[in-house]
Amino acid sequence: MTDHATEQPAPAELVLEQISKTYGQNRAIGDISATIPAGKVSVIVGPSGAGKTTLLRIITGLEEATSGRVLFDGEVVNGVPEGLAMVFQDYSRSLFPWMRVEDNVAFPLRRRASKAERTRRVAEALQAVGLDGKGRLYPWQMSGGMQQRVAIARALACQPRLLVMDEPYASVDAQTRAELEDLLLSIQAQLDITVLVVTHDIDESVYLADRIIVLSKPPSTVTEVIDVGLARPRDQITTKEEAEFVHARAHVLRLLRGTATPDDASDVRVA
Amino acid sequence: MQLIHDPLPRRTQVILGIVGVVGFVAVLEMVIRSGLVSGAGLPLPSAVAEQVVDLLGDGEFWTQIGFTLRQWLLGLAIASVAGIILGGLMGAVPTIFAMFLLPVEILRPLPSIAVGPLLVLLLGAGMLPLSLTVALACMWPILFNSMYAARAVDPVAIQTARTLHVSRAGILMQIRLPAALPFMFTGIRVAASIGLIVAVSAELLFGSGQGIGGYILVASTNASNLDGVYAATLVAGVLGVLVTAVLASIDRLAFGWKEGLAQ
Repeated sequence: MTDHATEQPAPAELVLEQISKTYGQNRAIGDISATIPAGKVSVIVGPSGAGKTTLLRIITGLEEATSGRVLFDGEVVNGVPEGLAMVFQDYSRSLFPWMRVEDNVAFPLRRRASKAERTRRVAEALQAVGLDGKGRLYPWQMSGGMQQRVAIARALACQPRLLVMDEPYASVDAQTRAELEDLLLSIQAQLDITVLVVTHDIDESVYLADRIIVLSKPPSTVTEVIDVGLARPRDQITTKEEAEFVHARAHVLRLLRGTATPDDASDVRVA
Repeated sequence: MQLIHDPLPRRTQVILGIVGVVGFVAVLEMVIRSGLVSGAGLPLPSAVAEQVVDLLGDGEFWTQIGFTLRQWLLGLAIASVAGIILGGLMGAVPTIFAMFLLPVEILRPLPSIAVGPLLVLLLGAGMLPLSLTVALACMWPILFNSMYAARAVDPVAIQTARTLHVSRAGILMQIRLPAALPFMFTGIRVAASIGLIVAVSAELLFGSGQGIGGYILVASTNASNLDGVYAATLVAGVLGVLVTAVLASIDRLAFGWKEGLAQ
């Protein structure tokens, strides 16, 4: 770990090799192989019950796969990898209510950095998410969108090489959701980190992604991997008017409904 | 939002509280003075008040209050340490829960006051058997609150800590404990008032004449000083109110973040 926050470590590549997960008789994940390229935004999208959260728990080392393996920059994941930060859907439960915002953000640094270094990195992280000066508040004194910003700041304070987010915006209103999507994209571009988002929102998947990994119903497999060529920086209005956005969105929706034909993919590049 | 009853303004609440106390005392004084109810040993508020003033001017009585407070605090401290450790572990670790549930359920209904004389026999006179009696009564609310508090810690908070590379011991000390502390403290608050009752009762029943209970015992053997008995009892009651108030403010100051959970 470098001592200087501006020297962001290189983004990590993640490879999933034939992951499967069985609970008793219940096969949640059939066989998933995919590559999450370094320095890009990848989105996993799938119908509810497709084992998306289970897959994330395996990727983050919180749970073991029944078979297959996860490679984090070529190394087999066995426990939570160093350099991975996770943002949960339930910000209000994931932030520690007995700590002020600044202490929540500083928590991952508690043994890794000097006091001055911690203070500086907390300030940087809060600034990156647009919350400078809010460090003395408690999370529960903030709105949902601000709380999720705190959770993102805490993840950034770790200087992650891979940022994993599980349905990060499912609990906020549409306006806040759009703001947070743009915040994520600007942070990703600025810090050059690998981002992996799980969502069930198709618009969101296309808007955020360089690569979309579409999962099938359980026991889930990869239905298709779609590389999205939309230009960056993206814009909530103009990007969503582009033909490629509209086609990709329709294609993903058909894949999820199981009604896609090869022709649908003519406007999107299938990896 | 329109509640069914709007809460009374703070000032009105305070005034009504004072009216209630003063009114009760005035009615009691009138009933006894008018001879409506008669009999030896009824507490005439003015006479009891006079005795309270006398008692509070008496350095010896303060020594007894001090004894009771130390005896109670020692018991509460023992119960808190034992209850939080055992209850917390029972809540956090299923194997410990399975091992201790039956012994706890068997011991819990035992009236601590009945065990007290045995403790005096085993340990001799003094403060310790009294404090242990208090501890035995105080332990259960603390233990059960700690157990449920440790069990109810949000799994998302624990997963979050795991993704932040916090060790198992670290999760216990840095996540489970702080998350559970306010509810453990609620257990201590409940136990504190129970403990004060048990502390005075133990002094009265098998103490060696010390403490407020000991004072009441000595004063009541002397039938001419019944007002003194009432006065000491009243002081014990006021002590209970003070203890409750102090613990409530500690709760507000230390665990104000609990407000956040109500959302």
